[in-house]
Amino acid sequence: MTIDVFWRIPTHGEPSSHRARTPHRGDWFPGDDSRRKPGLAGSGDDGFGYIDYLAEIAHAAEIAGFQGGLIPSFPMTDEPWVISSVLARETTTFRFMIPFQPGFLNPLVAARMTASLQRATGGRALYNVITGAGGPEQLWWGDNVMHDDRYGRTTEFLDVLRGVWQGGPFSYQGRFYQVEDGGLPDPLSREDFPEIYFSGSSDAALASASKHADYYLSWLEPFDKLKAKFDRVKERTAQLGRKIKCAVRVDIVARPTEEEAWEEIRRGFDGLGREVIERFGRPNGSESVGAARQRAGLPASIDSYRDLIIEPNVWSGFALLRGGQTNGIVGNYEQVAERLDQLVQLGADAFILASTPHLEEAYRVGEEVLPLIRGSTGAPALRAVG
Amino acid sequence: MTTEFVWQLPVSGDGRYGEAARTRRGERAGPAHPYSPGVTDPRGQRFNFFDHLHQVARAADLAGFDGIRIPEDPFGDEPWIVAGYVARGTRRLRLITEFAASRGSAVYAAKNAASFQRFTAGRFAWQIHSGGTAAARRVLGDFAGDEAVLPRIEEFVTVARGVLTEAPYSFKGEHFEVLDGGFRGALSGQLVPPVYLSGASEAALRLSARVADVHVFDAASPPEIRAAITRLRALARESGRSVVAGLRIDLVARETEAEAIRDAHRYREQAGQETEAPASTGAGLWQGLNRRGTGAAATLVGSYQQVTEALVDYSGAGVDSFLLSAVPHLEEAYRIGEHLLPAVRSRIDPEHRRVA
Repeated sequence: MTIDVFWRIPTHGEPSSHRARTPHRGDWFPGDDSRRKPGLAGSGDDGFGYIDYLAEIAHAAEIAGFQGGLIPSFPMTDEPWVISSVLARETTTFRFMIPFQPGFLNPLVAARMTASLQRATGGRALYNVITGAGGPEQLWWGDNVMHDDRYGRTTEFLDVLRGVWQGGPFSYQGRFYQVEDGGLPDPLSREDFPEIYFSGSSDAALASASKHADYYLSWLEPFDKLKAKFDRVKERTAQLGRKIKCAVRVDIVARPTEEEAWEEIRRGFDGLGREVIERFGRPNGSESVGAARQRAGLPASIDSYRDLIIEPNVWSGFALLRGGQTNGIVGNYEQVAERLDQLVQLGADAFILASTPHLEEAYRVGEEVLPLIRGSTGAPALRAVG
Repeated sequence: MTTEFVWQLPVSGDGRYGEAARTRRGERAGPAHPYSPGVTDPRGQRFNFFDHLHQVARAADLAGFDGIRIPEDPFGDEPWIVAGYVARGTRRLRLITEFAASRGSAVYAAKNAASFQRFTAGRFAWQIHSGGTAAARRVLGDFAGDEAVLPRIEEFVTVARGVLTEAPYSFKGEHFEVLDGGFRGALSGQLVPPVYLSGASEAALRLSARVADVHVFDAASPPEIRAAITRLRALARESGRSVVAGLRIDLVARETEAEAIRDAHRYREQAGQETEAPASTGAGLWQGLNRRGTGAAATLVGSYQQVTEALVDYSGAGVDSFLLSAVPHLEEAYRIGEHLLPAVRSRIDPEHRRVA
């Protein structure tokens, strides 16, 4: 077996360390609306944009040996389709993992965009299909389909995408999508269908994933829970006569010594206001099953960063430092690699790693941690890139 | 406004000089090997048509065009991806990206547009088309009836402008809905993409009068264009707005009239298209010469001087946005940029006239 390791592109802003929110390199960061210029030259218009920094990270990731990177999409971030097409010519092997929700695009348009992006990049596009939390958040995006229907729509969306991919003529009469004699034109139809990383933790999500996903993507959860989840996904998929792989999206802090790694966390935690910590751990009304699963098991009162260590080398406070998913691996290079190996043994076939700042840490993790990953066989197992 | 000159990307392939058949330059996907056995071909699978499209966009930028139109062609590459692909390699060009309002959420389109504006210093623009006949729309997964097409474009533009300029922004219409939307943080305050619309019907003109920045007319004679612009301006005034008039027209411009006519004839014979040459088959406006190739309804054929005069006439009729193309697009971008644009600009634009 082989293991694919991806990096992340910090669309949601980039502080210069885990320890503090300032200074930061983006022109924006949650909670700080003061516009800064992404070049570090000062306040004048230096002609650079945040895309120039993102381009540096993407290139660093491919130089350092990552497959590519996840390009997260949130209401406040730049959009991954644009980033991918804009950086196509500036990268060589970097694979663009594009998260998007089926409700955002007509599947025929998505098919053409994807095939063109494959042509523009030499087949370096892949999807992270997200169905979304539902509720009022969805209407922010201009999408008004309710939660359980939403996975039905995701399934239909991918049905149509696959149907038209090789040229058609393809017709479809779904509840959400219809098409009459559609199909990609040559030479777009010759491109490989992108790999699909599928996110979503509810039963409806698993049903949809089982049909179409190549990888089932989960945030890091307590290891035993994660194993149970992966087992369930693989079992359901096997019932359909398909195989599915599993992937883990996880933040890491890897340092030469374990002390240095935890010191990074301690400083970040100690810089937080009390009210921030108290708000953390309380449910926020989101419908996301994944978010609730991550929060499970936190202690009632959090007094020290140590209270958030939920198992060896796993810290559950990353969302406090920079938002997003909250469980991450902290340790020296060997420890981080060992924990990743452990995840491989319980069913992971791929990782999306992230660490702040993403430029320098891409090199560090690529140089110090990736070579130590043994996978489940004990032999180096990373898939060759490019 | 200063008159703008826009070039076009041949997204589904291009002809060559003396050869109307369309090919995708650089495309190495097929089995055909162009060289004789034994002649080395170092390219492998390294290039495809995207590399050439990038060249065309650069050529337009270098040759002094103000923008480039990236048309939506069902047989070509997808315009938003092409726009992103050429964005970093161009510096000044407005990237006019064509699509239909059936592409998905207007909020999502606006959000992608905000990223484009951030990455291009505000060079991204939209041309929204109707999607063609009902049958053509169904092929593209769009089952809206004919009567819904124009209202949907209007809602699309309304919602996109709303979320780009206001937060919170809510809207509930027939086709689009958004609740407490609008962009904040780095995505806020980005330029709303200028909207180019087209269509000859009264309804299309009325729609443009309400929401378009530019209304693009298909090529026709200067008097016809003048009449259409007069109507557009009257409707825009009723809406308290002004709308720039655009003209989509092709060119066959050569050093001499005779060369231009020869090339136009050859092109017509090779393309096998039903074109109506002018009675004299001389210089002037040829109908339908390259409609299937570039989408232009008509082509100006003549010497540099004749074509320059014709473009100046259109300017006099009220055209402030010229959407031009000519085959092959790379070579012709330089030709038009070198031999026509300076002359036309110096005739119609006081700024240029002073310099010239």
